[in-house]
Amino acid sequence: MEEKKKENIGQEQSEAGQQGGDFVESDAGARSLSEALKASFFILKLIMIALVIFFIASGFETVGSEEEAIVLRFGKIRGEALKSRSAPYWIFPEPIEEIIKIPVKKTIDLDVDSFWYFQTEEERLSGEKKRVGPTEPLRPTIDGYCLVRGEKKEGLITSLGESDYNIVHCKWRLIYQIDNPKKFFKNIYVEKSKPGDVYFEIIRKSINPLIRDIIESSVVSAMVHYTIDEVMFEKVGRVSENVRRLVQAKLDKVESGIRVVSIQLFDITWPLQVDSAFQASIMASQRKQTKINEAGTYSQKALNEAGGPIAYELLGALKEANTGEERLEFLWLQLAGQAQKKIAEARAYRTSVVKNAKANAEYLHEILTEYRKRPQLVTQEIYKTAMEQILENADEKMIIQPVKSTEGSEIRFLYNRDPSLRPRKPKESGQ
Amino acid sequence: MKSAAITIFVLLVVLVLGLSLFSFQVRETESALVLTFDNPRREPITEPGWYFKWPPPIQTVEKYDSRLKVFEADLAETTTKGAVPIIVKTYIAWKIAEPLSFRNSVGTVEEAENKLHSQLNDTQNTVIGQYAFSEFVNSDLSQIKIEDIQAKMLKSLEETARKDYGIEVVDIGIKVLQVSADTTRDVFERMRAERKQKTENTIAEGEAQAVKIKTEADSMKTELLAAAEARAKTIMGQGDAEAARYYKMLEDDPELAMFLRSLDAFKKILAERATFVISADALPFKELKMGNIPSFKAEK
Repeated sequence: MEEKKKENIGQEQSEAGQQGGDFVESDAGARSLSEALKASFFILKLIMIALVIFFIASGFETVGSEEEAIVLRFGKIRGEALKSRSAPYWIFPEPIEEIIKIPVKKTIDLDVDSFWYFQTEEERLSGEKKRVGPTEPLRPTIDGYCLVRGEKKEGLITSLGESDYNIVHCKWRLIYQIDNPKKFFKNIYVEKSKPGDVYFEIIRKSINPLIRDIIESSVVSAMVHYTIDEVMFEKVGRVSENVRRLVQAKLDKVESGIRVVSIQLFDITWPLQVDSAFQASIMASQRKQTKINEAGTYSQKALNEAGGPIAYELLGALKEANTGEERLEFLWLQLAGQAQKKIAEARAYRTSVVKNAKANAEYLHEILTEYRKRPQLVTQEIYKTAMEQILENADEKMIIQPVKSTEGSEIRFLYNRDPSLRPRKPKESGQ
Repeated sequence: MKSAAITIFVLLVVLVLGLSLFSFQVRETESALVLTFDNPRREPITEPGWYFKWPPPIQTVEKYDSRLKVFEADLAETTTKGAVPIIVKTYIAWKIAEPLSFRNSVGTVEEAENKLHSQLNDTQNTVIGQYAFSEFVNSDLSQIKIEDIQAKMLKSLEETARKDYGIEVVDIGIKVLQVSADTTRDVFERMRAERKQKTENTIAEGEAQAVKIKTEADSMKTELLAAAEARAKTIMGQGDAEAARYYKMLEDDPELAMFLRSLDAFKKILAERATFVISADALPFKELKMGNIPSFKAEK
């Protein structure tokens, strides 16, 4: 075909040559046209090569370390999400394929304070407690709050019909991240980004309304299951966990591909209108604790005084039927305090009574032989020695001379009742 | 050579033009309707991919975003069973499920939200009206039915929304649950009363526990001392028993033994703070007075 064409052109040219000078000018024109065509073909070729190069080059895409990317081929998700790597990926340029990069590692936080009472900007910044009268109501469109269940009371009829509930204000903080980029891309609406927008910010702006709605409804649903004391003091962790579960369940239900990293009950308070009652209650709790602590101290002291640190253990061992004799003996030895004193005294008594008895017996035996020989002398001697000792120790000594005529008469002494105030010299009266 | 290049170039241009006229893509996030002279004749396309069509004006394509949309209702006051006023705010997460039905009934997202709004108000009033306030919040956990209430609202809205508007309601939730301003006053009153009672209970409890701890300690102390006393008695008894062994030795001369024992006792009794009054006739004064040798006779 090509060759035929060439032949044709050759023929035309030779014909033109035969026709001579008439065609010289047109020949030159044809030549320049052919040159121009040649040049434009060359440019076209260049453009085509450039286009091919551009086409290939534009297919290289990198995926950042905090991202994963999904590739759409003719609008349909192709294969698994692309993970971050050092080498670039090559995909067909649009409109055949399209790459969408989704920040999966970055966490997004969201503060929800729609359950808080109304604060002016000033109040919020100053952080001071707002002053509210005890009868000031909470206004539905302005003040936020949660209802929590009342405490179950046996046989008590509440003033507000069948239901019994309380009010709390709370603030929540949620941290979440995109967990499944495919699901996220497919189901979650993200605004189209305009030039100059930060894509991450657009994602945040696009999904926060949904997340906010989900948290708020989860909080409302969860809080009614707890009493005010549970949400504020006793079960704070469990309430947060409950809300987290509800939020995650909803996010899974709508196939959002979003995972809750953490949810935190950031702040919680009773209504300011009832502040004084709650403060008093807290004070009472503290007082209760103080009382119990004091009693504990008393208890420890009492037991310590009675038996030392081992007292408690010893009592337990005594009550236990099968405590070994050895163990018991060991514990008795460890005893201190009053109980120990009693036992020590008993031991001393035992020692002394035995020693005395032994001494007496030995003494008797020692003097017995002599006594049998000279009983009067021995007894008198012993008696005198004893008198000597007694009289030596006596504070007052009085020796009275009995006279026949005074038989039947009395001797009276006057003593101060308090022996310590007794005068050194006795008063003597009568005979 | 040159003409080949031209041919390829022309073919490419024709191909691109042709494809753009005769085909279209449906992305993963959308569904599409192909309209033939503005009439949806073909089944709606809900699967993503590449599709063919006739060029306009014969066939045109309308696309619908099939991703989740959220819609929040206004704060609404309604009444529960038993006519207790209650303030609620609800949100709906929805998406276009049937583009044809959606196009025919509402057409745009704004219109859909308008329709959903009135639907939601109806549903809210009907469903909430079937439940007592005590089923929203109650001191008895088993009475709380807030999940059921939301599930019922979803079910009721789901059916009509799909049938009438081609909308799938994916989720519904009560995001504000409040009572009227006047009622909050009563609640405060009750909370105060409850707290006061609690405060009193706490104080009483503290007292009671403290007393209990102290009493227990006292009784333990008594018990311990009693046990020690018993043990002391035993030890003393042991001493007495041991001492008794020596009493046997005294039997050799009980009279002398008693005498010695009495003297011992006197020594002890009169050891301190004694005022001793004795007759001058007694030993050893007797000797002092008379100067003679005493005979053995103990005098008291």
